[in-house]
Amino acid sequence: MKKFILKSLLYVFLILLALEGLVRVLHLYTEDPPRYIDEYGVEKRVPGSTGYSVTGNRNQNLSKFRINKDGFNSKNEFNPTEKGYEVALIGDSFIEGFHQDYHISTGEKIEERTNHIRVYEYGYAGYDLANQMHLINAYKDQFSLIDKIIIYLNYESDLSRGEYRPNHDRIRMLNSTIFKIRDNIKLLAYGSKIGVLESFKRLAQGKAFNEPKKGYQENDVKLSQEEINNQDRNRLDNFKNLISLYGFDKNKTAILLDSRKTSENFLKYCKNESIEVIDFAPAFKASTKSTTLIYDHHWNEHGRNLIADTVANYLKNNRAD
Amino acid sequence: MLFNSIEFLIFLPLVFILYWTVFKRNLKVQNILIIVASYIFYGWWDWRFLILIILSTLVDFYVGQKIYKNLGQKKARYWLWASMAFNLSLLGFFKYFNFFVDSFIDMWSLFGYNMKSTWTLRVILPVGISFYTFQTMSYSFDVYYKKLKPTKDLVAFTAFVAFFPQLVAGPIERASNLLHQISTKRVFSYEQASSGIKLILWGFFKKLVIADALAPIVDDIFQNYNDYSASTLILGVCLFSFQVYGDFSGYTDIALGTAKLMGVELMSNFKFPNFSRNVAEYWQRWHISLSTWFRHYLYIPLGGNRVGKLLSIRNIIIIFVVSGFWHGANWTFIFWGGLHALFYIPIFLMGRNRIYSDNIIAENSWFPSLKEIGQVALTFILVTFSRIFFRSPTLNDSFAYIDRIVSDFSYSPYVHPMGYRMIDFYLLIGLFTFYEYIIRKDERNPFKFKSRYIRFCIYSILILLMLLFYDDGVNRSFIYFQF
Repeated sequence: MKKFILKSLLYVFLILLALEGLVRVLHLYTEDPPRYIDEYGVEKRVPGSTGYSVTGNRNQNLSKFRINKDGFNSKNEFNPTEKGYEVALIGDSFIEGFHQDYHISTGEKIEERTNHIRVYEYGYAGYDLANQMHLINAYKDQFSLIDKIIIYLNYESDLSRGEYRPNHDRIRMLNSTIFKIRDNIKLLAYGSKIGVLESFKRLAQGKAFNEPKKGYQENDVKLSQEEINNQDRNRLDNFKNLISLYGFDKNKTAILLDSRKTSENFLKYCKNESIEVIDFAPAFKASTKSTTLIYDHHWNEHGRNLIADTVANYLKNNRAD
Repeated sequence: MLFNSIEFLIFLPLVFILYWTVFKRNLKVQNILIIVASYIFYGWWDWRFLILIILSTLVDFYVGQKIYKNLGQKKARYWLWASMAFNLSLLGFFKYFNFFVDSFIDMWSLFGYNMKSTWTLRVILPVGISFYTFQTMSYSFDVYYKKLKPTKDLVAFTAFVAFFPQLVAGPIERASNLLHQISTKRVFSYEQASSGIKLILWGFFKKLVIADALAPIVDDIFQNYNDYSASTLILGVCLFSFQVYGDFSGYTDIALGTAKLMGVELMSNFKFPNFSRNVAEYWQRWHISLSTWFRHYLYIPLGGNRVGKLLSIRNIIIIFVVSGFWHGANWTFIFWGGLHALFYIPIFLMGRNRIYSDNIIAENSWFPSLKEIGQVALTFILVTFSRIFFRSPTLNDSFAYIDRIVSDFSYSPYVHPMGYRMIDFYLLIGLFTFYEYIIRKDERNPFKFKSRYIRFCIYSILILLMLLFYDDGVNRSFIYFQF
């Protein structure tokens, strides 16, 4: 009995060791460059980090990232000048672009499609409009030199709050020893990413035994019209609040959005307030090819090309030299 | 409690350690631990249905004594009927009541009488009821047929009925095998325990990788068969063949392995059915405990094959149809059983139904002969075809599915509902089949390689594959739990 238990434990240890090696060799794990909050309260990545981001259980997408001196994933360093024409592309993970190699990013594609325009991508996974408006406000000196600001807005998820507050607790948690151990043991990082460790996490939180069993497909809860209207109203109020708190330069700022997923009221408000909107819905709608990754909702190469086309056309038509 | 749940991951080591330490010295106390553990295991799902298991246990324990006491008299038969009536009533009420009411109403509607279905009940089917009722009935049968003396030890008998590794989805054990082991002092064996762990690993691989990875594809194709081409529908049912095999045989391997950890040997339920050379051999390799149950307690009492050709054919049809009906209260299962009877009868008439009972494909060679490959392919096609009925929710759906394949044959590549590369799954099935071919001679020892380094590599690769094909969104329940 003792021999059996000891030998089993030894096998478990050796198998875990072998798996750690296999996960590293096959690069199944994803790397997440460390985050921090700077002296302006802006949440971003630690400059100088490089590595590979992986999507899917079986390494279905591997892309290289490089965090520049300003803490964002980009080939360019952000040095806006009075002379050049610079565009800031601000957004969440779609703009951060961990789903493509950093040197073929959306910003890079826009630069290729336009003449002498430099694109600075201020993308960060988890950013909502509050983050983005705060960022522009906090770096106003830098942004005063930038000629055009394009904010990517996901209407359904980016307008849930009307004021930005830095989440120090989350950053502290991500930098804690437990998370550092998780990130250094690649098997754990991989297991955590694919959801294998969910049951263990629930167990640690004391919730393992009362979780309802989930079927493969779950129907979304449908909201009533009244609830949808309330939600719309809240989002618009948050938008107005953010504008009044952080300012919004209508002359050089435009919102990049998908009108199919944006409420009519919001679009009307933008029109009435002369806020420029770049709508990529027509391009996506007309596309016969898929615009998102097959195992992920982020844009694929084709989707990013369409975005770049849309933004480049907008810049060509609206560039004021 | 599911084998593939965090609860079981904690439960099993705990029971294992208690079983071989604190409770080791006294057999009765060890059996009480089996009962408590089994009731926790079952009650985790719904404790109210424990009452049914307890009732079934008490009735058959008592009936067994009564049958034995009255052996040779008419009374013994009455007591046997009592056992059957009780167990079949449980099954009939929980599993078949609505089916009979609905079928009755449908029948009258054929004559123009439209009745409202006010009799159907909202009853949940208790997990494993078809398994443990058949197990307790087998005890009464064995006592009646003088193959077994009834036990006087209620604790051992209760542990035999509720033994958690095989309680919810078999194998359906005969008392002569399991009760005997439970009534005898078990001694810890390193070899037995380590072979148990290996079987558990192999079972988890089959369940988590083969069955669960294919489940979303099969569900998608069967739910939306009207939108897919014939080639996709063929792919769907072929993958279902592998899914149901991975699911059920995976469960069985975990059950066998868990029982081994408790020092108990359960019967084999699967012997590589995908390598069967005719449908008769398939039934000697697929769900063996159920087919032997029906052979011993239905086919042979009906006269088996000793009653002339015509009556033998009748008996074959009966056992296949009843076996289909055992799976579920749905005409699809009855049709599935009937179809297998149709496949089996020609083999029986040619006298080829037992020719492969004691050998396996490529018995003495590395590679199968061309003839064997053809036989295996034909058997796989027939069995897989029948699974259209097994998987479809209604007979109409089954026929519509077949109709789309036959009447409008076209090819188009299939795209996974989650967008995964299909080539990964085809490779997986190919490698799995190849590996099963290598180990085809011993279903109880999937890692029979001399070199410990090779064994270690295989363990690591299997666990890596579990991670590579892990899908957080899949329903992890076992298919045979619904039966």
